[in-house]
Amino acid sequence: MSTHPSAEPVRRGGGLRRPLRPNAESGAVSGPLTTRLVACLYLAPMLALVGVFLLYPAADTVWTSLTDSNGLGHAKFIGLDNYVNLVKDSAFMTSFVNTLYWVGGVLVLQVGLGLLMALVLSSTALGRILKGVFYLPATISAAATGVIWFFIFSPDQGVLNSALRLVGLGGLTHTWLTADPPLNSWAMIVAFTWQGLGPTMILFLVGLQSIPRDPIEAALVDGATGFRLFWHITLPLLRPMTVVVVGISLINSFKVFDLIWAMTQGGPYRSSETLAVTMYRESFVSFHVGYGAAVAVLLTLIVFVLSIFYLRAMFRRVDNY
Amino acid sequence: MTELTEAPFGTSFARPRIGFARPALHVWALTLAVVWLVPLFLLVITPMKTTPEYQGASQWALPHHPLEIFHNLKAAWTTAGLGPGFVVSLSYGLVGAALAILCGSLGAYAITRLPVRLGFLWFILVFSGTIFPFQMYLIPLFKMYTDTGLYDTWLGMALFYTAIAIPFCLFVLRGFFATIPGEVQDAARLDGAGDFRIYWRIFLPLARGPIAVLFLFQFTWIWNDLLFGLVLSTSDGIRPIMPSLLGMQGIYASTGPPILLAGALIGSLPTLLRFLFLGRYLLRGLTLTAGKV
Repeated sequence: MSTHPSAEPVRRGGGLRRPLRPNAESGAVSGPLTTRLVACLYLAPMLALVGVFLLYPAADTVWTSLTDSNGLGHAKFIGLDNYVNLVKDSAFMTSFVNTLYWVGGVLVLQVGLGLLMALVLSSTALGRILKGVFYLPATISAAATGVIWFFIFSPDQGVLNSALRLVGLGGLTHTWLTADPPLNSWAMIVAFTWQGLGPTMILFLVGLQSIPRDPIEAALVDGATGFRLFWHITLPLLRPMTVVVVGISLINSFKVFDLIWAMTQGGPYRSSETLAVTMYRESFVSFHVGYGAAVAVLLTLIVFVLSIFYLRAMFRRVDNY
Repeated sequence: MTELTEAPFGTSFARPRIGFARPALHVWALTLAVVWLVPLFLLVITPMKTTPEYQGASQWALPHHPLEIFHNLKAAWTTAGLGPGFVVSLSYGLVGAALAILCGSLGAYAITRLPVRLGFLWFILVFSGTIFPFQMYLIPLFKMYTDTGLYDTWLGMALFYTAIAIPFCLFVLRGFFATIPGEVQDAARLDGAGDFRIYWRIFLPLARGPIAVLFLFQFTWIWNDLLFGLVLSTSDGIRPIMPSLLGMQGIYASTGPPILLAGALIGSLPTLLRFLFLGRYLLRGLTLTAGKV
């Protein structure tokens, strides 16, 4: 296996594998003590930084979620009270429902539209230019995107309302970001799609590119075209990439914060909060620190369940590259 | 499946018949592309207007004096205080990405090539740093930073940005180092090279492709960060650019939209330029990660 030159992908089976080391089998692992200690020095900076700034905080958040901490002074252990209160809290339930809107919206708009655009662009010579256009928004930050779209949705001067009036659809104008829920969330999901469509589309294009030709040719010989070809042949063959894209999109849509903070800060009256925004507001605006930690833990649990599927697919990909 | 060495942006995806080839769909794609450019168009033309000009006409109206943009950029940079945020974010991005690659590559080298016990466990432990939502870190970090005096300091921000960039660097470089044949290492050892020398003179140079991609990628992440800047810093010269930009929003959204959008333009410039000039690397990073978008 190790005779491959480094540029050549080493093909290995799926799943997590320990990389094969030249000295692994020969028992060098139990080499002289000094060698092992020196080896630990290589690991030390990485382990120290990640341990102190990421892993310890993550563990501490779990503990904090079981206390009545307000950020100051002594925090009392209160068991699962924070979690019980979450379920009874109407602001939290609004936030949870909004998060589901985001997940659904992103799946339909970003993933669905991304796949459609990939299919369209893969069959046109314009594809090369167009995919650059669609990718452009992904190169600017979510905060800057929020600032731009804040003005687009502006009720009086915003481009959206004036465009609607221009084409005689004045009746469809709204105040968008300050409108009743869930319209304010949907407006932001559109802005999010504007930013996220490019990467999704590119991943699908890469997936389409790596589809084996033979089944396609065979299907074409059998007379399958257009939608039937897509549904019965292309889509099943595209499945590995679809799993990854759906996984990423699901996870990202559960965690969205920047764009909302830039556009509505979760308002008006907390009506457009998502879990990530609620966590921030409870912890750093209202100083219900224990409560905010419980939101963080809940968010993490949801993301973990989704990550299991995604990571399996991802490790398979990376091991194959 | 996807190869690191491929640059999808340079290659043509034109493979007739696999996709939908209806002319109507092409027209639709073209229309959508135009719509996609509208917000960027606004990002460029709005800073070219004076505030009264912006407020007196539709957002669509073309600017009368395009050179007004320099006035607005200057106002955003100095009066609104975005300048210090720009400079300090540049420093966080450069330092954080470089240090993370250093720490991650040392770790990857040890795990794949040195006699380390439980190498895979260390890998999983560090890699788990990529799967927590950021909300899991905020509260204890804030407490830790206020207790130790790291809050609102350059060092505190730089350390955190380094730490959060490490897991992904380790992930990629471990994968890459594992593909380097053992013979390379054995040959160097026969020539009398020590472990560190092999790492520094052979493994790092071999990995310069993935390292370049990682650098651009992590720099961008740090540059675009809003959340941690918001929680861990507050003063000008420490606070990164994105929280500074949103700090502007409160005042300028009503009194000076052209200045605020000039600020958004300043904040977007490095990453936008990078895409326009180094697009291939960016796309390579994307297919490499298929994550962290």
